[in-house]
Amino acid sequence: MNLRHPLSVAVLAAAAALAVSAVLAALAGATPVEAGTALWEGMVGTPYAVGSSLGVMAILLLVATGFIVALRANLVNVGGEGQICLGAVAATAVGTALPESVPAALALPAVLIAAAAGGAAWASIAAWLAVSRGVSEVITTLLLNFVGVAVLLLAIHEEALLRQEVTSSETLPQSAPLPDAAHLPLLGVEGSPATVAILLSLALAGVVAVVLARTATGLRLRAVGLSRPAAHRLGLPVDRLRFTSLTSAGAFAGLAGGVLVATAPFVLAEGLSSGYGFSGLVVGLLSRGSLAAAVLVAGALGFLVSGGINLQLAAGVPAAVTQITESLLVLAIAGSAAWTVTRARRGRTRGRTVRSPFRRPPVDVSAPPDPPGRPAAHEPAPQPVGTTLEEARS
Amino acid sequence: MIVQVLTDVLVASVALAVPVLVASSGELVGQRAGVLTMSVEGMMLTGAFASVIGATTTGSALAGVLCGATAGLLFGVLQALLSVTLRANQIVTGIAANALALAGTTFGARLLFERGTAVPGFDRWAVPVLSEIPVVGPALFRQTPLGYALLAAVVVLGILTSRRTGWGLSIDAVGEDAAAADRAGIPVLRIRHLAVLGVGLLSGLAGTQLALSEVRTFSDNMTAGVGYLAVVAVIAGSWRPVPVVVASLVFGAAQALQFTLPALGVDVPFALLVMLPYVLALVAVAGLVTHSRPPSGLTTTFARVRAA
Repeated sequence: MNLRHPLSVAVLAAAAALAVSAVLAALAGATPVEAGTALWEGMVGTPYAVGSSLGVMAILLLVATGFIVALRANLVNVGGEGQICLGAVAATAVGTALPESVPAALALPAVLIAAAAGGAAWASIAAWLAVSRGVSEVITTLLLNFVGVAVLLLAIHEEALLRQEVTSSETLPQSAPLPDAAHLPLLGVEGSPATVAILLSLALAGVVAVVLARTATGLRLRAVGLSRPAAHRLGLPVDRLRFTSLTSAGAFAGLAGGVLVATAPFVLAEGLSSGYGFSGLVVGLLSRGSLAAAVLVAGALGFLVSGGINLQLAAGVPAAVTQITESLLVLAIAGSAAWTVTRARRGRTRGRTVRSPFRRPPVDVSAPPDPPGRPAAHEPAPQPVGTTLEEARS
Repeated sequence: MIVQVLTDVLVASVALAVPVLVASSGELVGQRAGVLTMSVEGMMLTGAFASVIGATTTGSALAGVLCGATAGLLFGVLQALLSVTLRANQIVTGIAANALALAGTTFGARLLFERGTAVPGFDRWAVPVLSEIPVVGPALFRQTPLGYALLAAVVVLGILTSRRTGWGLSIDAVGEDAAAADRAGIPVLRIRHLAVLGVGLLSGLAGTQLALSEVRTFSDNMTAGVGYLAVVAVIAGSWRPVPVVVASLVFGAAQALQFTLPALGVDVPFALLVMLPYVLALVAVAGLVTHSRPPSGLTTTFARVRAA
């Protein structure tokens, strides 16, 4: 077994992260057996636990699917949190405005489409700035998270917006509940809160996997992601593809927000998105662009997050332990990236250059792409940005 | 009346701008050396946490500062290891490190910190005469001793790393083209390591200032994005010291409106005020980024390897 294989690195990182978490749980006064039992109970102990774990998995998978779509065009969507919030706000706005008589066949799609549109609109701000002004999408999506969370707060604190009717001083700052027709149907397993969300997210992940791997659109996104100048020379609409991919990422995260309000307790409340945006990003990163891997990682993290809640309830260990595990996992895997040997990169791992998101190779959009057959001899080949010593010498 | 209002607004603005300023002045040096440290937020939060724990357990605010600085420095070591030595993706590791800091301090606070404990902090000390200047006097010359020390440190750092010193030139050379700087004999990795350690130290102290001089307690996620504002202040300030200071002040003022506007009786939804600094940051980044040029080597990594 090759220790430097990405899979072994992932396994080692997971083992290390779990070991640290066990130590932390012990610090909080729970023996490893107690903590392990509580975690296991919270993950798969009861039909209820399995159901809620699947619910978390669905959310993470949706966010991660979007992340992977954007990553294919070499755009890093850090804005899952804000997009979830805006999706949830849009879903609630549509859901609570629907008349009671609307059948579920109409209400549910309306709510979910509104959610996707909300998330897409939010991501489109960052996408537009990235395409038209060259602003790093990492910075803009990150800042939009804070604004998005505040938008959700605004919506649930203002009666003119989405706050439920204030009847007494004890009325909570949250929206009115969605009508029955807009509720996601349960899967129908007894005692389980699992909804069709998990099926929806799996189906969407499947569709996206096929689109990315087997269609022209997928290939175009990949071309843009690998080299914008080259994609431009091929005559691809580089800007439109980048805009669309980041906006779609927002749509998936927004949909996750819609799913969150369309499951019990069916209201928009503060802290709705708490951490799902980051966890979804973690899933997207760890799965290295593969949707099959994303399903597995989302499953693992979904059950872990859900189990972490029981860890707090049953063993008195703060649920923050699962977040510590998650972030340690990312740090370990990202930190070992230069050490990890993948087959494609074997032999030149030592001088790897990470490209600056701030200094992307300039693409002259005004110039028409070169006609086929005529090499652009008058222009030097685009130089990679930030050449390392190794690349300069080779 | 209007003078009083202006004075109050300015006092609150400067109070919230100092932590941003301290962190962003460190981040400026880091980014000029070519390392984008996204984990300023986590460093500040860890610094705030460590300083509060240190101050409450020893009963001395000075020991708290020492703990906050050490924690920031250790965080800097971790980030330097990842960003410079291991050549990991700086954005990914930075954001993950922030998540680690948030979860770690939340966890630590459950175990080590009891809500409502009195935290020994620093009292304000007014500079005679200068603090009597109308409007700006109270804002600038009524800081805590820690605040004065940090502001002095920022000024000294700014002078030492300006483009008129050998250090400053080396930092810029490393950030622009690491390979060329290496050939010229500049110790690229040492400078980058030191720069990230500096970011850690200053961010930890910025968190300490926030915790021991201003808030006097620790609460979960008490920095709530201020560290990201410090990173953005560097970008919005076009990687030049004076505009970075201005950007930090603007972000501080925008945060201060959360407290000053309601105190003045202006009825604005709280959430709008919460989002204001981030909206400003977005506008600043979007509006200014095309007019400025980041260090060419920002986020690129460097390693010396034998020629194949």
